[in-house]
Amino acid sequence: MHHAEHVMGTVVSIDLADPLPPEALRTMVDDVCAWLHEVDRRFSTYREDSEVCRFRRREIALADCSADLRHVLDACADLWRDTDGYFDAYATGPLDPSGYVKGWSVEVASARLAAAGSVHHCVNAGGDIRARGFSGSGAPWRVGIRHPWEADKLSWVLAVTDQAVATSGTYERGDHVFNPRTGKPAQGLRSVTVVGPDLALADAYATAALAMGEPGIAWLAKLAADGYDSAVVTDDRRAFSSAGLPAAI
Amino acid sequence: MRRSTAAAVGTLTGAALIIGVRLSVSAPVVPSAAPPVVDLANSGQDADPTPSGTASKKPTTKPTEAADNGASDENADDDASGEAGGGGLKNGIFKGDAAKNVYGTIQVSIKVENGKITAADATYPVTGDSATINPPAIKTLNEETVDAQSAEVDAVSGATFTSGSYVKSLQAAIDQATA
Repeated sequence: MHHAEHVMGTVVSIDLADPLPPEALRTMVDDVCAWLHEVDRRFSTYREDSEVCRFRRREIALADCSADLRHVLDACADLWRDTDGYFDAYATGPLDPSGYVKGWSVEVASARLAAAGSVHHCVNAGGDIRARGFSGSGAPWRVGIRHPWEADKLSWVLAVTDQAVATSGTYERGDHVFNPRTGKPAQGLRSVTVVGPDLALADAYATAALAMGEPGIAWLAKLAADGYDSAVVTDDRRAFSSAGLPAAI
Repeated sequence: MRRSTAAAVGTLTGAALIIGVRLSVSAPVVPSAAPPVVDLANSGQDADPTPSGTASKKPTTKPTEAADNGASDENADDDASGEAGGGGLKNGIFKGDAAKNVYGTIQVSIKVENGKITAADATYPVTGDSATINPPAIKTLNEETVDAQSAEVDAVSGATFTSGSYVKSLQAAIDQATA
């Protein structure tokens, strides 16, 4: 079953490949969509009444925040430390945990699907992907990495199972990733893809490396020991990939 | 005497770096079980002659992260060919200082016989922060692209698109085709 849902300012594509009755699959898709809309309501920085905005305005104290928001804040703090400050939920001023929330929400969605009985699925939230099991053809999910200059081309194809694939780039939404050390738009890297077990972390690592610029390549290389592989394209069109990248074909 | 040797090693380090680059082009380390799509771009890419003739004949350099960006290499290139071409190098094996670049720490060594460089090698300490740079295939992206039509994929990873730009994305086309 395939479904595309407009939510969180983007489109989330849900692909369920389990040999289950259509109504069971439909129920699972509905549950995932409800969860993603709930995340949007609670964590969007564009909604004045979201929990994040209320916490930002100090209308609620940390101790009174939901367990989910406290988890998100903890994770952002950990990532700030683990990325030498390049993943910064405060990079643009007030708290904005969106860079973590999207990946985390899809990671949770995938876990909910698994708990409900779906062991073969692929969820793509605006370019950030969490896959489990195998595609309908019985083979690993084939995930293309978008070419950073040509929207209809791919620069890599990966064979993915039980992994997350996150890409950050400067080509889609302009200069929206900033180097927190300089306060200027990220420079040097055009596209950073990170593949690993957790989508929230993969996404945050990709964003941090993009913010670092070219030194981000060496930084990414060290993540391989933790199970996070990477593929990078620089502004001057050089391409790099780590040895463990699950390249297909 | 020692000074001039050091200078020669210093300038030749640049040449060896370039050899490292080219080697990594001709023999990228990729997982053998899953060579990347992009490998098809490999052929005929490294047509450039290496700058310091004999040194490139017997490279023991492992294809790795020796690459540095172009500008400084270009200079080293010129210097090296001048020095090496002039001959008169002292025989022996010379090690350069461990040097850091964005891809990690490397140490270059050269072997000089009869006044000519006969081998160049680069080592990559596997301790500390220089561990595992996964030696990238250094090619231009153009040569790495695959046509979307020829590669059937289930999903496309890319920088986050908005609801608005989604309609023009490859993922939208996939969603339509599988809906």
